[in-house]
Amino acid sequence: MSPEGGGTAAVPQEGADAAMAPAPVVRRRTWRRALRRPPAVAGAVIVCLFLLMAIAAPWIATGDPVRTNWGQIRKAPTLAHPFGTDDLGRDVYSRVVWGARTSMQAGVLSILLAIAVGVPTGLTAGYYRGVTDQVIMRLTDAWLSFPFLILAIGLVSILGPSLVNATVAIGTAATPTYIRLTRGLVLSAGQEDYVQGARALGGGDLRMMLRHILPNIFSALLVQATVSIPGAIIAEAILSFLGLGVQPPTPSWGTMLNTAQQFLETAPWMAWWPGLAIFFLALSFNLAGDGLRDFLDPKDY
Amino acid sequence: MLDFLAQRVAISALTLFLITLIVFTGVRMIPGDPARTMAGTDADEAGLQEIREKYGLDQPIPVQYVRWLTLALRGDLGESIRTRESVVKIVALKLPITIQLAGFSLLIALGIAIPAGIFSAVRRNTVWDLLANAVSLCGVSIPTFWLGIMLILLISVRLHLLPASGFVSFLQDPLGNLQRMLMPAFVLGAALAAVLMRQTRNSMIEVMSANYVRTAYSKGLAERVVVLRHALRNGLIPIVTILGLQMGALMGGAVVTEQIFVIPGFGRLIVEAVFTRDYPLVQGVVLITASSYVLINLLVDVSYSLLNPRIRVKGAADES
Repeated sequence: MSPEGGGTAAVPQEGADAAMAPAPVVRRRTWRRALRRPPAVAGAVIVCLFLLMAIAAPWIATGDPVRTNWGQIRKAPTLAHPFGTDDLGRDVYSRVVWGARTSMQAGVLSILLAIAVGVPTGLTAGYYRGVTDQVIMRLTDAWLSFPFLILAIGLVSILGPSLVNATVAIGTAATPTYIRLTRGLVLSAGQEDYVQGARALGGGDLRMMLRHILPNIFSALLVQATVSIPGAIIAEAILSFLGLGVQPPTPSWGTMLNTAQQFLETAPWMAWWPGLAIFFLALSFNLAGDGLRDFLDPKDY
Repeated sequence: MLDFLAQRVAISALTLFLITLIVFTGVRMIPGDPARTMAGTDADEAGLQEIREKYGLDQPIPVQYVRWLTLALRGDLGESIRTRESVVKIVALKLPITIQLAGFSLLIALGIAIPAGIFSAVRRNTVWDLLANAVSLCGVSIPTFWLGIMLILLISVRLHLLPASGFVSFLQDPLGNLQRMLMPAFVLGAALAAVLMRQTRNSMIEVMSANYVRTAYSKGLAERVVVLRHALRNGLIPIVTILGLQMGALMGGAVVTEQIFVIPGFGRLIVEAVFTRDYPLVQGVVLITASSYVLINLLVDVSYSLLNPRIRVKGAADES
């Protein structure tokens, strides 16, 4: 792409080849394409807000999320406690804010773990084919036969309940999906001319995988990551809800809902906010992921 | 045809074998002495030795595996640490409850998803399509257990329409059973409905653009006839596969749903087993779940190939 300045007049036509246009035009066109999808943009913005909330939790929360106050037990929302207080007099708003940290951590780290294990394994299977592929894929099939949540519960029962172990369990349960996806992508990428060409030029195995195949399957993996993070976030909430994830008093949306269930009649607000938070975060990730998939689809102009 | 079936069965058998390996290794990974785990905390050294001999824990790991597998194949998955009852018996007692719940929610999910998916596909890009898609997106994003809690809050606590929790057998009290199953089944079915609706819509859109559908239209057939008689038959084929693959999510969802609505089924059993560190029970439940998932999907694939000869041939080519 030539860094030709002043491409202002060149209004791109539908179906114009992006590779031919000057850089600023491409950039502007990219923005315009992104902004054509308001729900996806809104999703991405909300995800960023949650991320900010997780990082800046100490400043956004109005109080200490674990400090109990026996004089303020199960109080309905007020100005001082906008989301009300829980069964131990803790501020629900502060707990929801800190809970974002737990959820983000579990959701993102578990999927990163799944990618770190799944992508190299899938690359190996798809690149070398043959016996290696057969062995890896049969194991992956078996692994995939364990329902996601049942496998995560089983693993937590072995590892013991904690946030780290729940994250590891969710990541392990999500790994086979990445092995399968990567392998499939590698198989189709391997047929492409540029890969064949690079091979003809004498590229080594590792160089082929990292320089030629991986960059070309990256966008598909990114989309998959965006749509599997909400699943992982919900899985963490479920494990914590069942008492198999984050242990009290650490704030987590799942454990908060677990407690809230006992006080539905007297303190329903305890159940509203953590659930709404999970719902909005998952919804935003899904919106952003759907948008990203359309956006990265080269056929879509 | 027979080739395809044989291949499919062989792969499933291999998968099942690997599943047993994974489950066996998983339980071995639990830190500590398995004999002590089995005996519980109050066992003395003599008791431990007795357990080691009884379960062959003093033998090499491969021998232990073969022994465990042989027993499992004979339907003996050991006994619960807590109740000393046979694992198979406990599961057999709990499973019908979960099957009823799952079946009920499957009906609800299909009842919502198929009509909504067809409607969305036929009225593509209208307000209704947009609305259906938005609802389905919310359906995938909403955490099942929160939906359950909110429904209890609204329907049981506020409106007093249905009981919040509990279970009675259908044979004892059919009406009471249905009343108590309705909310959990809806909660469990909601997520499935969202996924199925999207699939139905996509697959119907694809089928609706096929030439034979256009032909049917140009023959002057009514839209209803074209959609329901011509398009739907092919449009539903991919749904069968998705349904098989979603069985895992349904089993996982049952764990949470049963927990919220206090239904004494298979899902509650596994959570209880994990909490009481009843490892033989956890092992048995996980093994049975994974195996049934493989068998269900084998059945789905086989019935699928019987329904559609084109896929049978293509499928056989893909598998190799």
